[in-house]
Amino acid sequence: MSELPIVPQVPRPVDAGDHGVHRRGIFDPELLDRCISCGFCLPVCPTYALDKDEQSSPRGRITLMRALESGRLEPDDPTLQHEASYCLGCRACETVCPAGVEYGPMLEQWRDHQWRAGHGPALARWLRWAVARRRMLQLSGLVRRFARTRGPVRDDVAHVMLGCAERALFPAVSQAARALVPGADAPADQGCCGALHAHNGDSAGGREMALRLGRDLPGTIVTTSGGCAAHVAEHLGRDRLVEISDYLVRTGWKPAGRLMTRGADGRPRPIRVTLQDSCHLRNGLGVHRQPRELLEQIAEYVELPSAASCCGAAGSYSILRPRDSKRVLAPKLDEIMAAEVDYVVAVNPGCLLQLKQGLLPRRARGAKVKAVHLVELLVRAGSRAE
Amino acid sequence: MSTADWGVVDDEIVGRLRDIVGPEHVKVDDGAVAAFARDATPLYAARPDVVVMPGSAAEVAEILRLATRARVPVVPRGAGSNLAAGTLAEAGGIVLVLTRMDRIVEVNADELLAVVQTGVTTAELAAAAAADGLLYVPDPGSKTVSTVGGNVATCAGGLRGLKYGVTRNYVLGLEAVLPTGEIIRTGGRLWKDVAGYDLTRLLTGSEGTLAVITEVTVALVPMPATSRTGVAYFDSLATAGRAVAQVIADGVVPATLEFLDNKCINAVEDFAGLGLDRTAGALLLFGDDGAPDVVEQNLERMARTCEKQGASGVTMAREVAESEALLAARRCALPALARLAPVTVLEDVGVPRPRIADMVARIDDIAERHGISVATFGHAGDGNLHPTAVLDPSDGDAAERTKAAIGEIFSAAIELGGTITGEHGVGAAKLPWLQDRLGAEQMALLSRIKTAFDPAGILNPGKTGSQEL
Repeated sequence: MSELPIVPQVPRPVDAGDHGVHRRGIFDPELLDRCISCGFCLPVCPTYALDKDEQSSPRGRITLMRALESGRLEPDDPTLQHEASYCLGCRACETVCPAGVEYGPMLEQWRDHQWRAGHGPALARWLRWAVARRRMLQLSGLVRRFARTRGPVRDDVAHVMLGCAERALFPAVSQAARALVPGADAPADQGCCGALHAHNGDSAGGREMALRLGRDLPGTIVTTSGGCAAHVAEHLGRDRLVEISDYLVRTGWKPAGRLMTRGADGRPRPIRVTLQDSCHLRNGLGVHRQPRELLEQIAEYVELPSAASCCGAAGSYSILRPRDSKRVLAPKLDEIMAAEVDYVVAVNPGCLLQLKQGLLPRRARGAKVKAVHLVELLVRAGSRAE
Repeated sequence: MSTADWGVVDDEIVGRLRDIVGPEHVKVDDGAVAAFARDATPLYAARPDVVVMPGSAAEVAEILRLATRARVPVVPRGAGSNLAAGTLAEAGGIVLVLTRMDRIVEVNADELLAVVQTGVTTAELAAAAAADGLLYVPDPGSKTVSTVGGNVATCAGGLRGLKYGVTRNYVLGLEAVLPTGEIIRTGGRLWKDVAGYDLTRLLTGSEGTLAVITEVTVALVPMPATSRTGVAYFDSLATAGRAVAQVIADGVVPATLEFLDNKCINAVEDFAGLGLDRTAGALLLFGDDGAPDVVEQNLERMARTCEKQGASGVTMAREVAESEALLAARRCALPALARLAPVTVLEDVGVPRPRIADMVARIDDIAERHGISVATFGHAGDGNLHPTAVLDPSDGDAAERTKAAIGEIFSAAIELGGTITGEHGVGAAKLPWLQDRLGAEQMALLSRIKTAFDPAGILNPGKTGSQEL
């Protein structure tokens, strides 16, 4: 074959759009550089689904982070401010990313900077302050004291983590968890795990609190909160911190029987349930098969099309951005109604509260579907004696 | 037209844009436009002056009339998954984001067609068709992200090219807005229609340089009853190429015929540990779809042919789940390569099918001379190759060297009777090589066609039909 001379064209100067430009030191360069801007994350992002707007997509936000890091955008840029808080932090984008981008840690670094001293939402500051106060947690525990156990903390049993939201709002959930984990205690003197701090502009504080929780509760910690699980596991390791559905599947829990109800025709039928995944449990820890496996043993299980997508609770998001939180939830409520289930099951207290509140108006109009935590149903099904 | 002639996006223009689409759908903030400075093309970025998100063809028409009058560039954009800098606002101006127009108008099983607005994603269209037992054939790698409008604008391809063709084979009709503001409807719900020039095909693949596509009527086909896949290893791509030629000479036109070169095999194996043969020169995936007995027969024939042509190992999936596992090797190619370095340059050239092995040898040679890392995978059935370079932008002149190497890869493809792009498009990234592919006469004709549609030259300047910026 005759070789024709190859005349190279003159390439134009490269503008990589802030890719690889590190000036401000806000982000871990390796994390920030990894995005290849393919856009595969767009279709799974809840805020992109609402607005179909690039700036409210994971790729768009990484472009913004790069512009912040390179100095192209000022930290007080209104779009940066808006997007840092509009993002739910659900990390669904990580599950479809071909380049293995770790969006969660980058969002924490972004908010650490964006919401540094006095720049973040005042409500987020107050929340961080409130849950860091042990006395306040114990106070809320006093009102609902039946969740916890007394006596010194033992290091030979599993500990049920009471959490900051759950001990105040859903003590029955902690109690059910204790009933399911043989011999477990639930010491009253345990602090917040710090997930709320890490996700709201104080990742150093969040880390400190997770480590302290690890010292307070030596040995295995079992949690009913998917959101806390991912955060604590990141700092203590997955052998120390186990989410309850994962724990029960690993230990071979079996129900005494199925949960039954009466159908429209008056005949007994198994209850019909669906699951709302906890984003950080699913996307951060990869735990999503386990709660389904448990539910299939006690009920007729129906999968919602959007089960894996955020319900809008997103930690403190429902408090900080109530309107957007409701917009994210709305289509899911329609799906739940269409699925004609008896229960929608949560594996995280935030999701549970969000679903309960979202269903209120529908229940007022006669809908029967209830939101419950997984362990509340499991405990009703009873454990089979081995 | 020179850059100096562009109109300025001033407060008056922005005000009028706000009147047309509503203030919440017009963005001029630094941050907001920064997010639209990129599409999926690495090493290219350019910020528009304003981002506009219209909700209807009528709004698009008003925006374009305004832009033509004021001589403001307009760059249409779907989901921004373009890989050839085709949606970059290199001359500034308006980025026209069409993702709000995302309604599936109709899926008609009797007529075997669907009508969708431009911003519906390819996967959403495919799912809607599948719900009625129908298949929307084009399946570009970005189908979960990319919009149907964007697919039509780039004439997107995918894995089924040889047996089924590409996007252009499934577009029956378009609603599009001319830069001067007229809304036209080309083609329609007809499989046969030769009234006038085939504007549907002209606009398909025109990359937003002639008109803005606002609605698409596509042809659907009945969903194949089943599909199956097999995999074969060869000591070299040349041997694999001979097997492919023989498969087709035997009278089988497979639905799937994909290859990975040795570098891809090793990258995938490092990433996913699928148990691939690291020593193989090429991995060939072959598959077919249709009636179960036909599929069975074709798979057997292809496997036997591969063996006869010297395959070192052949595996056939017994069931659908096994097919999925085999396809994982191909699916993992991009993720595996993307993890090697921060920048992944996913290129796209085409050569006649018998020249694939020659082309990959040339690519390897060019990469070595420029000291860059390139692995190649692609569609063995239709000759469409994806040489993929990975690089670290902080590594001195790696980006410049990569761009130079890619230029040589284009030249090599043309020499072998091929093309500079099989399915990604020309965009701004490949415009410098377009004349090498088309010749001066065609370039001049393209320019005259461009002027006929777009007298002010406002639509996606710096891409096909106009000068480099």
